[in-house]
Amino acid sequence: MIVELGHFTLVLAFVLTLVQSTVPLWGALSRDDRLMAVAPPVSVMTFLLVLVAFLVLTVAYISSDFSVLNVIENSHSAKPLIYKISGVWGNHEGSMLLWVLILVFFAALVGLFGGNLPTDLRAVTLAVQGWVSAGFILFLLATSNPFTRVTNPPLEGADLNPILQDIGLAIHPPLLYIGYVGFSITFSFAIAALILGRLDAAWARWVRPWTLLAWCFLTLGIAMGSYWAYYELGWGGWWFWDPVENASFMPWLAGTALLHSAIVMEKREALKVWTVLLAIFTFSLSLLGTFLVRSGVLTSVHAFATDPARGVFILGLLCFFIGGSLSLFAWRASMLKQGGLFAPISREGGLVLNNLFLTAACAAVFVGTLYPLVLDAVAGEKISVGAPFFNLTFGPLMVPLLIAVPFGPVLSWKRGDLLAATQRLYAALALALAMVLFTFWLWGMEKILAPLGVGLAVWVMAGAVAEIVTRVKFLSVGPKRGFDRLVGLPRSAWGTAVAHFGLGVTVLGIVTASAFQEERIETMRPGDTVNLSGYEVTFDGAAPRRGPNYTEEVGHFTIRTGGVVISELDPSKRVYTARQMPTTEAGIYTTGFSQLYLSMGESRGDGAVDVRIYFKPLITLIWIGCVVMAFGGALSMADRRLRIGAPKPAARRKAAVAAAAE
Amino acid sequence: MLFWILIAVLTGVAALSILVPLSRSDRARTAGTVSADEAVYREQLSAIESEFERGLIDAEAAEAARTETGRRLLAAHDRRAGQADGASRGGRIRTAQVLALLGLPVAAVGLYLVLGAPGQPDLPLAQRLNAPAEQQSLEVLVARVERHLEQNPQDGQGWSVIAPVYLSLGRAQASAKAYANALRLLGPRQDWLTDMGEALTIANQGLVTADARSAFEKAAALDASAVKPRFFLAIALGQEGKTAEAIAAWETLLENADETAAWVGAARQQLAGLRGNQPAGAPQRGPTQEEVAASQDMAAEDRQAMIKDMVAGLAGRLGAEGGSAAEWTQLIRAYMVLGEREKAETALAEAEVAYEGKPEDLSLIKDAASQLGL
Repeated sequence: MIVELGHFTLVLAFVLTLVQSTVPLWGALSRDDRLMAVAPPVSVMTFLLVLVAFLVLTVAYISSDFSVLNVIENSHSAKPLIYKISGVWGNHEGSMLLWVLILVFFAALVGLFGGNLPTDLRAVTLAVQGWVSAGFILFLLATSNPFTRVTNPPLEGADLNPILQDIGLAIHPPLLYIGYVGFSITFSFAIAALILGRLDAAWARWVRPWTLLAWCFLTLGIAMGSYWAYYELGWGGWWFWDPVENASFMPWLAGTALLHSAIVMEKREALKVWTVLLAIFTFSLSLLGTFLVRSGVLTSVHAFATDPARGVFILGLLCFFIGGSLSLFAWRASMLKQGGLFAPISREGGLVLNNLFLTAACAAVFVGTLYPLVLDAVAGEKISVGAPFFNLTFGPLMVPLLIAVPFGPVLSWKRGDLLAATQRLYAALALALAMVLFTFWLWGMEKILAPLGVGLAVWVMAGAVAEIVTRVKFLSVGPKRGFDRLVGLPRSAWGTAVAHFGLGVTVLGIVTASAFQEERIETMRPGDTVNLSGYEVTFDGAAPRRGPNYTEEVGHFTIRTGGVVISELDPSKRVYTARQMPTTEAGIYTTGFSQLYLSMGESRGDGAVDVRIYFKPLITLIWIGCVVMAFGGALSMADRRLRIGAPKPAARRKAAVAAAAE
Repeated sequence: MLFWILIAVLTGVAALSILVPLSRSDRARTAGTVSADEAVYREQLSAIESEFERGLIDAEAAEAARTETGRRLLAAHDRRAGQADGASRGGRIRTAQVLALLGLPVAAVGLYLVLGAPGQPDLPLAQRLNAPAEQQSLEVLVARVERHLEQNPQDGQGWSVIAPVYLSLGRAQASAKAYANALRLLGPRQDWLTDMGEALTIANQGLVTADARSAFEKAAALDASAVKPRFFLAIALGQEGKTAEAIAAWETLLENADETAAWVGAARQQLAGLRGNQPAGAPQRGPTQEEVAASQDMAAEDRQAMIKDMVAGLAGRLGAEGGSAAEWTQLIRAYMVLGEREKAETALAEAEVAYEGKPEDLSLIKDAASQLGL
């Protein structure tokens, strides 16, 4: 009964999204407040219904209800509880249900917390979000129903893909989806603005927290996915330019560009057309990613289902939403008024530069991801576009962008002074140059690019600090006043600085881990020791072990420096019994920000095993930097100024302004 | 019934989310709606002031920004003044109400009836496993015992219970393992040893392997009067090509046999087969007692099909791995019995190729073939 109720709530949610997509829009076009007022409660109700459906599916997984086809295909009664739960979204149907859940979740958030929005904008935004939700719930019900039942339930399920049986799966998809799908709401805002013809600075401000929210989660989701691939796939790499990774990276690049162009629109009412186009593109790229992953065009760990009917359906949705939104854009964009003017060297100019490079980088990734697919489809030729292509296209685009990052926030609006800006960054520049020289001294001249990369990373980090320092004017006003000013800085200023600092941290991690990594691949017998980067890695032997639903060969390694034991690692090779599928569990020793990474390969008959050992200096900074970036985004989102809307009592606002001005 | 009540409640709550906002009065909301963008621009103005005071922008820039934002503020103000008051018209509201009261339930329930399986109960695994035994299928019972044995692998009694069930489900290998566990935990018993041997024999398509044979021998040693282990040992002798010993074994068995026993017919058949036309010294693989017994219960076509399967299996094996002269003879004879003369001739030709360098064996095959009329 519970399963069937879950099925019904999903159907009911579908019908309700149809109401959500029509009634408020009708209300907005006919200026009827009551019809528009339907949007928020309906969006919240839709969310609750989909949530019930999702919880029902989760209950079916937890109780191993094998009368549900989806549970049979993706669960196993011996699976640990956490993987029973995370298995709900570890398959095509369940993950699409999560997709839809997040879609309606964002609508509900706008319904609940969008009180500062004009009624018509909110109503139409929710209506557009309703179209997207209806499209995807229909997709679920028509081609990938998670509630399909079987009459003769078997006693055991087929188990979850073992690579996905990891704590990573519990975290990565929800984070990624919140980001990915979160951009749907900026898309809806953009379409609503085009329909209502209200594209102005206020619009940019209203959209900003939603863009930030999606962007933060997407950043975390991508970082999490990268770390997961790093420790689970056993290759020691953290980014593979895999089409599926690119599918999530493209919306990130476009979304980052959107964040920055929206600032210009908010402050100067310039770049309106461009910002709206970016909002459409960002979500289109999310949709494209979903299509690539779900249609079976790509085969990877993410391609749960390869069903042509689903591919065609998603392609149809894709064409409808992207084509429809671009047509609307073409029709309405010409009506937009010219916004504020600015000189090339100005804050706006810097942000345009940022957008130029980010979109070019996004285009490079797009070409590298889609060209092989198109070539395969058109000419039947299979080529693989790997890291070299991306390193040659994406890399060079990032260098000027990174050089420019610290300049942006210190340039003034409208007409900037590059010389004055550079003066503010002298200290950062000096620090970066010092780091370049230090790295050369440390590593010698054999690697020319790496020290420059380190310098670039330090430049970005120091630039972020310098921006805060100059804003506060520590040097001229003294520490006491300076500290007060520091506290009084708007959170969005802090957000910018923290996010830029995080970017520098990530770049530093990427440069050092790629350039200074040390690697050994050895066949080791019990008792053998390998020396790497000052660590003595001793193989003590391997033994079989049984897990709940797998068997594994666990190697035991002792790590010493100068004869002193500092750690013991147990990397393993697992075979998941239900699917007879092997996986690798790497052994990782973290020291400071660096890691020693051990991965076992084939065992030779006589107790010897192939072992890959890597020393990856500062590699954790890659992910720490991402977390810092996301934190910066969160800070910016918490900015008091973004929450205004309902007019505050004048006295309180004046007090707040006075405090900020202190 | 409860199900439909819950569905009605859910639909009702969903409809309320449409009806309640429709029924609210207009005045409650119109205040402060359009001032949303004015609030944004006022806030921007105060931000400009604070940046100016902070010294981040000079007086000129502050003034320019103030003018720009002020213009936007005025525009927003004008827009609000010029806007209609957002009054509702009865017709629209009524349409939306009908949609909520009628369209929503009809569409949702209708679509659900097409897609869903109303009335199908949930079947959590724990509930299925804990249901009273008489309501459960054999499969579920097996799963239950398996789960129990996974937790308590030292329960010999449990293994002995599940072993014959496995065999009857056709999982001979699992059955043999279960018997082996029971024997290991609870000590040797004649019937278990015998059944284990039988399971192993079935698992090997009727061939009494060394393991099975040793099980039967142990069983026979435990209880010399037991028939079943000796029956299989006699088959084993026949399969090993010890025809004389096999014949002796069958004769001993049949001597003390109760004529009405089920196995007697099969034993006689084996004996007749051994006496009749088997050349000595060649290993044989025959059908097992069960298969023979089964074939007697079958309809004529089924029996024919089973025999054909066996013949095809033999032909395949001989073609791929070769075999003894006796096996080739057996194949040729089988084809003749089935009335497939062409195939018999082909098999003879193949045998001639296979035994080209061994005239003795070849003459045996040829003799047999000529006896059959080839």
